[in-house]
Amino acid sequence: MLSLQAVTKRYGALTALDGVSLDIARGEFFGLLGPNGAGKSTLMSLVAGLRSPEAGTITLDGRPLADRTALGFVPQSIALYEDLSAEQNLSLFGSLYGLRGRELQARVTAALESVQLADRRRDPVKTFSGGMQRRLNLVAALLHEPKLLLCDEPTVGVDPQSRNAIFDFLEARARAGLTIIYSTHYMEEATRLCSRIGIIDHGRILALGNLDELLTRLPFEDEITFPATPATAPFAAQLAGQGALTTEEGTHCFRPPAGYKLSAFFAQAESLDLPPRLFTSHRPTLEALFLHLTGRTLRE
Amino acid sequence: MRTILTLIHKDFSLFIRDKASVSLTFIVPVALIYVFGQVFGINRKDTGPSGIPFAVVNASANPAAGQLLNALRAESAFKVVTEFKNPDGTTRPLTEDDLRPLMKQNAFRFALVIPADLIAEKRFGLRLRILSNPRNDIETQTVNGILQKVIFSNVPELLGQSLQSRARDLVGQPQLKDFNARIARTVADTFGVDAAVVERDIADGNFGLRRLDQLEETPPAGAATGSPASTTTRQDVFSQIVKIETEQVVGQDVKAPAATRVVGGWAMMFLLFALSGSATSVFDEKKAGLYQRLLAAPVRRSQILLGKFCWGVLVGLVQLVTLFLAGQLMFGINITGHLPTLAVLCVAAAAACTAFGMLLAAIAPTPQAASGLATFLILMMSAVGGAWFPISFMPDFIQTIAKFTIVYWSMEGFAQVLWAGASLTDLLPILGILTAIAAGVMAIAVWRFNRGTIFG
Ligand SMILES: Nc1ncnc2c1ncn2[C@@H]1O[C@H](COP(=O)(O)OP(=O)(O)OP(=O)(O)O)[C@@H](O)[C@H]1O
Ligand SMILES: [Mg+2]
Repeated sequence: MLSLQAVTKRYGALTALDGVSLDIARGEFFGLLGPNGAGKSTLMSLVAGLRSPEAGTITLDGRPLADRTALGFVPQSIALYEDLSAEQNLSLFGSLYGLRGRELQARVTAALESVQLADRRRDPVKTFSGGMQRRLNLVAALLHEPKLLLCDEPTVGVDPQSRNAIFDFLEARARAGLTIIYSTHYMEEATRLCSRIGIIDHGRILALGNLDELLTRLPFEDEITFPATPATAPFAAQLAGQGALTTEEGTHCFRPPAGYKLSAFFAQAESLDLPPRLFTSHRPTLEALFLHLTGRTLRE
Repeated sequence: MRTILTLIHKDFSLFIRDKASVSLTFIVPVALIYVFGQVFGINRKDTGPSGIPFAVVNASANPAAGQLLNALRAESAFKVVTEFKNPDGTTRPLTEDDLRPLMKQNAFRFALVIPADLIAEKRFGLRLRILSNPRNDIETQTVNGILQKVIFSNVPELLGQSLQSRARDLVGQPQLKDFNARIARTVADTFGVDAAVVERDIADGNFGLRRLDQLEETPPAGAATGSPASTTTRQDVFSQIVKIETEQVVGQDVKAPAATRVVGGWAMMFLLFALSGSATSVFDEKKAGLYQRLLAAPVRRSQILLGKFCWGVLVGLVQLVTLFLAGQLMFGINITGHLPTLAVLCVAAAAACTAFGMLLAAIAPTPQAASGLATFLILMMSAVGGAWFPISFMPDFIQTIAKFTIVYWSMEGFAQVLWAGASLTDLLPILGILTAIAAGVMAIAVWRFNRGTIFG
């Protein structure tokens, strides 16, 4: 549905997006995962039509981005008039998308209810907690029922309750067919929500795929421990040739070399009829992959 | 102690980081003081007004009238106008009938008519007529003062001639000539001067009445020195002799003249402050990311700017009309009588001021810089544009700059409507200028907005 072809965006000398190509299918919940300054917001703003790229094309359903009503955009900041009430804010944004009268009224009410703000509808937004403001910020982008929702870090500074409310809300919308691009630097958000993830850094997409696809790209570096019993002895002997194996107090500890595939390890164990529960390891996480791809240096 | 030093150092660091506040603290006051100094004529040798348009109709063939005209021309406060410009570019001498319409159009606010019978045959003394449009109090008082000085210092000759002509009436030309000749001879004999010269002086009316000038030096007992009363003595003598008729040509029906004169300047200052305050809202909206949200919606930049502009004009209009109506309630200024014309003018003035506020928002990097710059420019424009002090008292270059300020043209317009009762047609030139300023400034603002970071 959305297609980016070799999109490049510069701010003066700084290249914020460097030849990014990306295809997002209808109904996808796409996670854009990257550290600070990676280019997530820049990518979002290009898709939202706030800026134009120096090179490359962005198309929605094969056509250049022209119809703004197909898109909903949740800015990274809380883009609300804080002296106006929740209801006034939503009415304003709904009107800008051409909604009028009863229709507008009904959608505003439904939107407020969907994020549990109906009872505070008449209060000025500045009296809201951070979590309430975030929820309103999110729902304000959906009044016109867009096909594609761009969420730029919608859970910054939000407590776990509000965060879960936002997740539930977005998951429900995704199930209802909404296509979502969701940028974040929280691994667990991407893990929980996204059907596909792109890891972005320094304006480039470093990895792209669903969670499992991404994890297989992770070189297995953690140590794995298992009991030193007669049953595991043949396996230990095999492993000794593949990496560093130490034995201490009845426990084998295997440290695989760089590039060692976790899948290979478990395939061998299976062929020796050793059940996976014997092995204790840290399951590789998105975080491990993320740090592996983006490095550990501090970002802007 | 250490803590306090650390805290002071922190404030210092913050201060020098903020270019706007540094310039507000040092550069802006110095610049303002310079301009105010110019405006209020501090440090000028030739304090007082200059170049006030002043029309003179000289219907008298008397050479003394020509002398009076030359004396007025020599007065730097006045720019003497004696010719009427025809639409085809040719000119002819002004007549008294030209004066009133021209004064209603504010071509000039003061005029002197030297009538054909300046020195009447049938009576003793002189007649002059002064026409004025006392739109500005300070200006009017000053002009009257200067005019009296010029007239009275030329009175002795005129008076002598008046005496001669009266004598001619009474005794006839031959006897008068004989009388003059005898006096001349006596004077010549007594003082040892040329009798022919004395006789000619007497015939010209020049027989030493200039000494009356010295009366000025002896104020009446009890009058404070330096007070206007110090000229009373001379005036007392002269006002017996010189009959000056005064006629207010414009604004004679204005109900509350004092309030009507100042209301425009005040209104403009408040308007500018209100609108520059609203300019900072642009920064709030940008900071909150609201422009991202708006522009992601089917909203164009031009629509955002136009919306802001129209809102500013609306606020300005309501504010101005409210201020004026308050002026009617509190000071009796006649507003309701001019409401439609005034409203149109208010729209034009508010449009110019709003455009100005938008330009500030477009060029200033931060809201602090915007409001600092606004304060600076508002004070400048108000001072230079004549909101506080009549611009005719300012140096020529400031008078020229004034013509580029919104304050000047708006006040001009308000005076035209409230003081001179101008109609919409009369007001067209000023409306055109204000609209042109609004459009020009707005064009620059839009251009800067599109290049700047507000929508970035
Ligand atoms: N308006 C701008 N002008 C100049 N540089 C910019 C601008 N916006 C972003 N950048 C730079 O472009 C790069 C990408 O910024 P971007 O905001 O897209 O990152 P991000 O992934 O959204 O980061 P974050 O997680 O902190 O929001 C950064 O180096 C940033 O400093
Ligand atoms: Mg960002």
